Amino acid sequence: MIGRGWARTVIADLVRHWRHFAAASVGIVLGVAALTFFLALGFQVREILLVRVFPADHLEVAPKAADLDLFALRIDLGRDALDAAAIEALASIDGVTVVYPKMRLTVPALASGGGGLLGSEMQTEIVADGIDPALVAEEVGTAFREVDGGQSSVRCTRDADCGGDAYCGRVAGNSERVCRPFIPVLVSPYVVELYNGAFRRAYDLPKLNPDALVGLTFEMAFGASTFRPAAGPPIRERMRFVGVSNMAIPLGVTLPLGHVRRLNMVLDSPAAGERYHSAILEIGDPDLLPQVVNGVEKLGLEVRDRGVRRAAFVTAIVIAVLGLVGIVLIAVAAAHIMHVFYLVVMVRRREIGLLRAVGARRTDIRRLLVSEAAAVGLAAGLVGVAAGVAAGAVADRLAASRLPDFPFKPESFFDFSPWLLASVIVLAVAACVLGALPPAHRAAAGDPAEALAGR
Amino acid sequence: MIRLENLRKRYPGAEIDVLRGIDLVVEDHDFLSLVGRSGSGKTTLLNIIGGLDRAFEGEGCIAGLDLRALADAEISDFRNRVVGHVFQAYHLLDHLTCGENVALAALFTRGETRRDASWIRSRADELLDAVGLPGAGARRPSTLSGGERQRIAIARALFNRPQILLCDEPTGNLDIETGREVVDLLSTLHREHEVTIIAATHDEGIAAASQRVLRLRDGCLDDGHGGER
Repeated sequence: MIGRGWARTVIADLVRHWRHFAAASVGIVLGVAALTFFLALGFQVREILLVRVFPADHLEVAPKAADLDLFALRIDLGRDALDAAAIEALASIDGVTVVYPKMRLTVPALASGGGGLLGSEMQTEIVADGIDPALVAEEVGTAFREVDGGQSSVRCTRDADCGGDAYCGRVAGNSERVCRPFIPVLVSPYVVELYNGAFRRAYDLPKLNPDALVGLTFEMAFGASTFRPAAGPPIRERMRFVGVSNMAIPLGVTLPLGHVRRLNMVLDSPAAGERYHSAILEIGDPDLLPQVVNGVEKLGLEVRDRGVRRAAFVTAIVIAVLGLVGIVLIAVAAAHIMHVFYLVVMVRRREIGLLRAVGARRTDIRRLLVSEAAAVGLAAGLVGVAAGVAAGAVADRLAASRLPDFPFKPESFFDFSPWLLASVIVLAVAACVLGALPPAHRAAAGDPAEALAGR
Repeated sequence: MIRLENLRKRYPGAEIDVLRGIDLVVEDHDFLSLVGRSGSGKTTLLNIIGGLDRAFEGEGCIAGLDLRALADAEISDFRNRVVGHVFQAYHLLDHLTCGENVALAALFTRGETRRDASWIRSRADELLDAVGLPGAGARRPSTLSGGERQRIAIARALFNRPQILLCDEPTGNLDIETGREVVDLLSTLHREHEVTIIAATHDEGIAAASQRVLRLRDGCLDDGHGGER
């Protein structure tokens, strides 16, 4: 059967037998809706876990812990730092494109400020580390960069004298005010989520928009602590918040690596400026992740995946199970389609005999019925996808109104990507076509004379 | 030309042959009536000649084609272009218009004889005129009388200008007057379209209009009643 007449005949047949086909497509609609809903949910959860909570394209490596618990104390018997040789060895592992060493601040620090945003000044002990600005260059741009924290000769009386990237302050041991650069800092999304999800409730503080925090300044006193007296005069500097990054320390602030190195050398010891506490490995191809992990373990180091492998495994299992549920539903629906098409073929036996009598080939009959099944699958797929998306929207609304805020709570729990929707529709069409193949084959193989006689 | 030699046919599960050694030659442009009681094998013989039933023994050569040797595509093209069928029950598709019913064979016409939509519409209108139903192309078969439906079925059978028109009890569902009109139509078509007509019938009118009458009795052609008119 060829040409426009084919399409018209298919449409006419669909209209004529719409009750049969509507009944047949109920199962497909339900299966497609369930598959769309569950897969979109699974993919979104995976996205949140593997991209936002546990980024999988970077791997943090640290010396292997060898702790000994002794009463209330845990004694660290392993090595505590990575040296330059270890960094070089990591860089030579296949699959590792770049190694970014990280250095902890080895002296205590106090942070204070936030009055303009929170309504009152806050002061807290804080931990810090340093990373290479190149690691986050794509994420936060050039705002996070190494700055010259040395002695400035530009005298000033107020901040406005120093331009936008510096402030007017004193250097320790010097009574004159000079222009000093703001030290750029990053925080982890954990910090923001922890604040918005829990901390702010305890202190009745406003919810913060991470983007609006950029530019916020606060003061840090390095070498100072509320727990013990400072060994020497602290170094006071003003910090400027320049962005949120997964590469930042989970709880604390992250500074440019060179600045932390200088602070460690000045306030702790020269050797403290040569010890890295961990390193971030950039992995070019995520498929090489297991190979890289093996290479790291061979060096006697361990991967701090912060749950990435478990998260990947769990989400893969959950997606597979939910997908399987939807596929089973569609398979059952395909069996139903097959039965309905057997019925349709029986009802249309004389008609099929007539088509054979006027010249239809067996392939024409098969194509006619399969085309009708594909059209049913397409319609059922579209309706099913619409139902799945609608169910997702309802679930999102319920989640927004009924679920409490929690870290990384997304605006939508569903990732209805175009390729997912298209794939599910293609699956629905394929299921209907497969279901219709046996009855189509039987109809095509039938004897036209017997079909016309109704035998 | 139609040439059947020692044609035998037995339906699955049956104990006797429905056709028992039929020898028949039908020249081009002949008008042949097959008469006989119900169950004598008339419809079976028409189905074999029309390529609808190929489960037979013996020789069946129609228009130079050995029917049993043809592949599905070839026998389908044979049914599409060489023969036209007219059935007692009309077998019109009610979800299509009369024009679409008439042009049904065009859906399956392939190769050089395939025509465009305007030619198909024009041909359908021409045939509707020829069967005395001008302007009926847009109507549904369900709105027509029995005689009109059979005219549509005849027009459908003639769409691809077949060499052979096979009519199985074409007046069987019609009253006498309407049946006579259909017989007149067949006679006219035979004359004007130079088509070979084989009609299985109980209708004396058709038998009278035909050039030859052959009687089938228990699966055999009865020579005592067959002959030239």
